[in-house]
Amino acid sequence: MSTVIRVDGVSKLYRRMAPGYHLRTLKSALLDGSLTAGLRPEETIPALRDVSFTVERGEAFGVIGSNGSGKSTLLKILSGILRPSSGTVEVAGRVAALIELGAGFHPEISGRENIYINGVVLGLSRREIDRRFDEIVEFSGLANFIEEPVKNYSSGMYVRLGFSVAIHTDPDLLLVDEVLAVGDEAFSHRCLRRIEEFLARGRTVLLVSHSLGLIEEFCTRALWLDGGEKRLLGSPRRVADSYRQAVAEEEGREHRRAKEARESELGQKEAVRPAEGEAPAAPTPQDEEPPEEEGAILRWGSRQAEIVGARSLGADGVERYHFVSGERVTFEIDVEAHEALSNVVFGVGIFTPRGVECWGTNTHIEGFVSARLEGRATARVTCPNLRLAPGEYLLDAAVHARDGNPYDYHRRILTFTVTSQSGGVGVYYPEHEWSFGGGITWQAQPE
Amino acid sequence: MLESTLRLLRFRGLLVTLVQRELKARYRGSVLGFLWSLVTPLILLAVYTFVFSFIFRPRVAGAEPYPLFLMCGLFPWVWIATSLQEGTVSLTASAGLIRKAVFPTEVLPIVAVLANLVHFLLALPVLAAGMLVGRALDFPVCGWSALGLAPIIALEFLLLGGMVLGLAALNVHFKDIKDIVANLLALLFYLTPIIYRLEGIHFPEAGWAQHLGRVVSLFVRWCNPFTPFTEAIQETLFTGSWPALTLWLHMLAWAALCWLLGTWLFHRLRDSLVEAV
Repeated sequence: MSTVIRVDGVSKLYRRMAPGYHLRTLKSALLDGSLTAGLRPEETIPALRDVSFTVERGEAFGVIGSNGSGKSTLLKILSGILRPSSGTVEVAGRVAALIELGAGFHPEISGRENIYINGVVLGLSRREIDRRFDEIVEFSGLANFIEEPVKNYSSGMYVRLGFSVAIHTDPDLLLVDEVLAVGDEAFSHRCLRRIEEFLARGRTVLLVSHSLGLIEEFCTRALWLDGGEKRLLGSPRRVADSYRQAVAEEEGREHRRAKEARESELGQKEAVRPAEGEAPAAPTPQDEEPPEEEGAILRWGSRQAEIVGARSLGADGVERYHFVSGERVTFEIDVEAHEALSNVVFGVGIFTPRGVECWGTNTHIEGFVSARLEGRATARVTCPNLRLAPGEYLLDAAVHARDGNPYDYHRRILTFTVTSQSGGVGVYYPEHEWSFGGGITWQAQPE
Repeated sequence: MLESTLRLLRFRGLLVTLVQRELKARYRGSVLGFLWSLVTPLILLAVYTFVFSFIFRPRVAGAEPYPLFLMCGLFPWVWIATSLQEGTVSLTASAGLIRKAVFPTEVLPIVAVLANLVHFLLALPVLAAGMLVGRALDFPVCGWSALGLAPIIALEFLLLGGMVLGLAALNVHFKDIKDIVANLLALLFYLTPIIYRLEGIHFPEAGWAQHLGRVVSLFVRWCNPFTPFTEAIQETLFTGSWPALTLWLHMLAWAALCWLLGTWLFHRLRDSLVEAV
């Protein structure tokens, strides 16, 4: 195996746009060929920090990371559009890059001319392009639009033409950014099949994607970039799982922060209320503010009893918002009754962000009768093994009268994330295992 | 310097394609089509002929018939002015392309020069017709000397190409460049012997006007790169004589200087263009 990409200690700095840097950046551009060489560290933004890795011939190499983690910068450096600020990049052979939507196309000229221009830039001769022209057009499925200026193309058409040219110019290395997600399902499949053929011929692919599933399914190795640094490099499954875990933890922190902010806001409003009663003629500035739109839609009820808090807890009783499928989870709801109430019902519901109800129940359905509620109280519902499929979920909580009249119905009171070791789609994640009989042998199996 | 030149040669196919599309795009949907490239120089010609034949009546020796003389300077000037203006903004106008694609950026300014050269060439039949009329009226206008136009155009292409490469790269860093260019061109039009002949001007014999006149004519002669090209074209077409060797050397010097400086500047700034544009 030979090395196709060798990235060694690559960093990339961008300059901050600030007035007065013009002359200095021009000077350093002229003298050093770099915009940032003459700038102090606080005047630059690092996009990549000391990233090193190699990609061997025949590999499908995935790059993941959140927005702004340096993936696109890396791709631009590999394709030769950008130069690294320090470090070295060696790329062997012909490179075709599908970087951004419409990348490489001149918007004003026809698809036909763009195919030629793209081919020439990728190092083909006119005659070579002539030979492949029909194939390129056929694969893109744009035969009827090939004389139209590219600016009139839809985003899907852009990608189809771009991919078609890139793959037919027979590069040694194909760099693909998120763009494949833009095409329709059928075309995406066609692209993936084509990339597989391409790999089978011993060529190399570097794929940047937010679709972790695609990376896991497709790649032989994956790199996780985080804030411009190499966070993890290894088998796609391991890298994708660690990434999911980190994202879930971050979301949990965010949720807690949001909740704390909401609670402190509530506290402030309560503090204002008595003042309002004493001096009704002088409304405080807070009163003039319109009620928060979202809160109004997501919450309703007479408020004779109010939900004042909600959290999810792990098996150890510690508040958290990310779980592994099958874990023990407890949801806690704090309520406060402003008057003594009888026949109170507590309810919870779990929804996906798209509003699919995964599960819902209340104390009435389950046969609890005639609760009396006075002052503050807490209701807990514990699921010893919450077998939800990996994904994000929202909890609704409600306190209402037995006749259904809500005291306080609070939608989306909290958000939590579920991950699993082995993936899968849907909302339910049953305990399961695969077994096989007859003439099935596997090249590799999960541990 | 050499690298930019070699890349331009390597991507000549791309250059041709882009020039074609530039020309096609400009006249797409217009009724008169390429005839529009004649309209600008012809209107200028009519205006200046009217102004200088009927209103001002300047004492320009050796410039008769005046409309023919004017044509020989004006048509190339339109090429110069449009190339420099379009070329200067060619990179900033294609920012999307430069940022996203592996693309030989140096072709973009050159495309502006070449596309406008085509317009100039399309206006040549008008010049030829004018010369035929001149001959019919027994003026000693061009004959075989018109062949000298080809090498002059080649040198002028290098001059303009070098200028736009440098200006376009600088304009990425300083957006002021395009305004400076536009204003300088307005000024240079009068500091280039287009509507007059440098030898045909008589400045007052004494006083401050004499010194000012001398400074201006020295500037026009030695500091304006367009002067030798304008004069050479006037010689080959209007006077009907082959330009002197000194004039050729003068053109060659400006062309070489601008090309080398422009390609050098572009090459130095190339790596920073993607980020700065």
